Amino acid sequence: MDKGIQRLEEMIRVSAFRHKVLASNIANVDTPGYKAKDVPFRDEMKNRAIEIAKTNPQHLRENRNPREAGGTVAVERSPWGDGNNVALDVELANMTENALLYEAGIKLLSKKFLMYKNAIKGR
Amino acid sequence: MDTFAIFRVSASALDAQRSRMNTIASNMANIHSTQTENGGPYRRKDVVFTTVPIDSETHSALEGVKVVQVIDSQEPFKKIYDPGHPDADKDGFVLLPNVNVMEEMVNMMMAVRAYEANVTTFNLSKSMFLKALEIGR
Repeated sequence: MDKGIQRLEEMIRVSAFRHKVLASNIANVDTPGYKAKDVPFRDEMKNRAIEIAKTNPQHLRENRNPREAGGTVAVERSPWGDGNNVALDVELANMTENALLYEAGIKLLSKKFLMYKNAIKGR
Repeated sequence: MDTFAIFRVSASALDAQRSRMNTIASNMANIHSTQTENGGPYRRKDVVFTTVPIDSETHSALEGVKVVQVIDSQEPFKKIYDPGHPDADKDGFVLLPNVNVMEEMVNMMMAVRAYEANVTTFNLSKSMFLKALEIGR
């Protein structure tokens, strides 16, 4: 069916995962030695786009389940005195941006369904 | 993947920061306590945080936080001259707790900000979930 729906689904999935990772960073803002993590949204979406574009799941097979949550990367930022490198303001900014992206994904998905609905009803 | 694990991450952080606030309150309350159960003046207490995996299925992407121990500060006590004090030594000096109001205030502000950040995270997660329920509406 429509690849767009799948793409939007992946967009929502990736941003939901990134939200969790950012929430963990904020939770550990005062944990000594904690290193901030992030999800490279662009790379993650690119990987998933390849998964979607495949006509056969055996093509370009990697050793990971495409449905599984993607990998995280360590954030390159100089640590504070206690070895923790979470910057609260940056994390909150990223999180707000990510939440908007998530919301956009959901809005677009809803519109897509609405288009189909209209097509079915012939209006 | 546990859908609601994210709320446990934020909740663990709120709990940990609240414990930190309790410790700070205890330090502030005992700023002049020259006697304790263990003898000697009150020692400043501090909490130590550590990460705790919330959902093992997501490859430790989700990490909450918890208070692993409460430590007593080993900084030297303040010493003041007050011969009339019942806890004064033979030279008239009294040992006061090693609590520094300035330090406690800074700690308290940090705890409050961290708490607020986690409340924001919690609310954002909640509104995201509610948005997801509107798919197809």
